Amino acid sequence: MSIKGLWWKIGGALIFLVVLIGGMTIPTRSGVTATQPSNAKSGESIIISVVGYNTHFKSAQNHRAWLKLDLIHAIKSSQFIAKNENEATLTFSVPDQFPSDDQVQPLTLIIDNEMDGAFVQPNALFVTLNDSTRIGNGPWLSAALSNLNKSEGIKFPYRNILNETIRNTFFHVALWFAMFLLLIAGLYHAVMYLRTGLYDHDIQSASFNKIAILYGVLGLLTGSVWAKFTWNTFWTTDVKLNMTAIAMLIYLAYLVLRGSSSDHDRRAKLSASYSIFAFLALIPLVFVIPRLTDSLHPGNGGNPALGGEDLDHTLRMFFYPSIIALTMLGTWMATLLLRYERLKEKIFLKS
Amino acid sequence: MNNHLKIKKFVSLSIIMMFWWGITSAQSDSLDFLRSTGKIYAVVTVIVVIFFGIVIFLFRLDNKLTKLENQIKNEQ
Repeated sequence: MSIKGLWWKIGGALIFLVVLIGGMTIPTRSGVTATQPSNAKSGESIIISVVGYNTHFKSAQNHRAWLKLDLIHAIKSSQFIAKNENEATLTFSVPDQFPSDDQVQPLTLIIDNEMDGAFVQPNALFVTLNDSTRIGNGPWLSAALSNLNKSEGIKFPYRNILNETIRNTFFHVALWFAMFLLLIAGLYHAVMYLRTGLYDHDIQSASFNKIAILYGVLGLLTGSVWAKFTWNTFWTTDVKLNMTAIAMLIYLAYLVLRGSSSDHDRRAKLSASYSIFAFLALIPLVFVIPRLTDSLHPGNGGNPALGGEDLDHTLRMFFYPSIIALTMLGTWMATLLLRYERLKEKIFLKS
Repeated sequence: MNNHLKIKKFVSLSIIMMFWWGITSAQSDSLDFLRSTGKIYAVVTVIVVIFFGIVIFLFRLDNKLTKLENQIKNEQ
């Protein structure tokens, strides 16, 4: 075996190894997992106990914390006591003056120190206004959020609920992208079969489609596992889930179709046309319909597309290589299937 | 032969049922471990699922190739 035909297989395996090691060892940024209490009345002084994740409350020196109402209104904490690296208590005196007269005001907690950088907990505290609360800026404008620190080094973003599972972007999401690329290869060969009538194109198309279906099934399973830990259920009624399941069922029928007919010519023609239909059905099911309604997936139903904190440059460093690696490994598996089918065809023609 | 297959089916089905029972009934205990350390074990589970998917594919291909090899051997 020469290295010539081997480089992309080794390449795929090596890139995936890099994704695996880098994706699992690079730490996430600091964040807040829990705060107590979650309610307060205006005009009172409260002590909030904070549980952090990947934080350095004890070793960092310059702690600052704010409760933020909106872009310009915030109050600064009067005291910061660290219990240990991940636990601290903050003292705030909630003013008796609020800029607006909404009965309940949600406040966002921002903590900043020189080691962890700045991090937020949205809606950490809900303040109920007293009857005596006046409308006015009071101390709200004086605490300007300035000179916020940035954590150093390469770190993945910390997202509430997602926590460490943001790393699944490299595996679950990349699996779907790779599946789509493999399906395009399958589609190309299906079209080429119908144009040329060469049997080899049919088995190439089938090999790519079969690996893509394997990726699709694995994508559904891994998504199910991920959902259990973030959405607290293995399967939701999310459109993207159900539409993808329908698309996968259409492709599973493709496998049944290929297994049902023993006449090579008929099977090839049928499955080539069917795989074109299945691909054309996949696009609206996976890319169009979920965008029209509400969905938990990013990029669907008013959610922002993959970007910002969900896919920042540190995640991209491993996300794109992972797609490339999984596509290369998938192509490798497809060529194994292809070689098997070619051998079988040779034996069939001999006998 | 038929009986043998039945036993095999029963064993594999009961293993699957046991896994399912383990996941659904002991949720608070078993999944609490998986949720520790910022849910990192959810990522590990995902990687394990992908790994087993690929291994199952390889096993099936292996079986198919063995059948083909036997066919060639019989013809010779």
